[in-house]
Amino acid sequence: MLKSLLTITHQEIVMTLRQAYSWITPLLFFVIVVCLFPLALGPDENTLNKVAPGIIWVGALLAIVMSIGNIFRSDAEEGHLDLLLLSAHPLTLLVLCKLISHWITHCLPLIVISPLLGILLHLNIHEESVLVISLLLGTPVFVLLGAIGSALVVGIRSHGLLLPILIMPLYIPVLIFGTGSMIAASANLPLASDFAMMGALVLISLAFAPLLTSAALRIGANQ
Amino acid sequence: MQTTPTEQTLVIDHLRFERNNITLLDQIHSTVNAGELLQVRGANGCGKSTLLRLLAGYLEPHDGAIFWQNKSITEQRECYQQNIHYVGHRNGIKSTLTVAENLKLQCALSNIRFEPTNAQAVLKKMGLQHITDKHAAHLSAGQLRRLALARLALTPNKIWILDEPTTALDTEGQTVLNELLTQHLTHGGIAIVATHQDLDKSHPTKMLHLGAANA
Repeated sequence: MLKSLLTITHQEIVMTLRQAYSWITPLLFFVIVVCLFPLALGPDENTLNKVAPGIIWVGALLAIVMSIGNIFRSDAEEGHLDLLLLSAHPLTLLVLCKLISHWITHCLPLIVISPLLGILLHLNIHEESVLVISLLLGTPVFVLLGAIGSALVVGIRSHGLLLPILIMPLYIPVLIFGTGSMIAASANLPLASDFAMMGALVLISLAFAPLLTSAALRIGANQ
Repeated sequence: MQTTPTEQTLVIDHLRFERNNITLLDQIHSTVNAGELLQVRGANGCGKSTLLRLLAGYLEPHDGAIFWQNKSITEQRECYQQNIHYVGHRNGIKSTLTVAENLKLQCALSNIRFEPTNAQAVLKKMGLQHITDKHAAHLSAGQLRRLALARLALTPNKIWILDEPTTALDTEGQTVLNELLTQHLTHGGIAIVATHQDLDKSHPTKMLHLGAANA
């Protein structure tokens, strides 16, 4: 069973990597959005350092919202979703496999490149490391919650901005604690509480999001 | 109706289904025993695909029920759906994977070990052995359909639900499909096929004409 699930996850990653635009475009979007701010705000070190957490977090959030909408789309269009429902594995586990592979292909590149963008915004080493850790904790929540919304709109042909409207309010807590941890880092305050809260958010969404997503997908097939 | 219903009988009991407040299917009644083929016929738009999606458990009827192993399928949906092969209008083939990888993914979904030799044999039967490593995006409509039907031969499932399986298939492909059906039915499987074409007469076939009641 575990072997089959690993195969499914692996195949998902292979599929995404073969469609390079699907993971490179959100990454480039993230880089460009963050790069625009130093140009717009001017090179002043204090200003940039102050707004850096907000810029990077909102940039990452928007990039993930862009990509998460497509997580079930090709499956629905190609009729593969019908097969997932007939699988020998619980749909919840299959959804989890898809989300893990989506996180690896879409979020990990963002996290890897974020310290580079941090240099642009004059973050010091301590702030950089906090940035990476907070993104590692925060992006899974973005993916997990985004999947619920994505599954809800999968039956709607052109959902446009409906998905961001549905899911972005749910991202607010992660955004607050994520940027909060970075602000605390720059003020040399203890970080444990922010990280603990984000860890809790990861665990809560890990427990419920795959279940809700698979329920939404079953409703989506019901039309 | 004369044969005694067994554990392996699929019973369609006075099914009614509405779409947008219009009754699409009404009083659909039939039984399919192990080793039997139910051929669903009817004009375009009479609800053949909908009936098949109901039988696959994707849709829920507004009235009536479908029984499998003497239990309504809505009560055992996830268990029941593991018994099904569904080939619909969309083939369910991932276009970014190769032909062989699609079969591998199918094995993983069915939780069956992927045996390359077995997969090769299936592809040979379907006439796809020369394009094993080709990306599915580059296949023709007929080849995609053959690949979708390869699922039937690859993993054993009790109930086959085929929606217009002969679409885009050439005569040779239709022969292979008929062979697959014969093999499946002689092993006690159930097949529900919506098609306008005449299938092989040797199958123990039941007919279900849709739309006759409404006309």
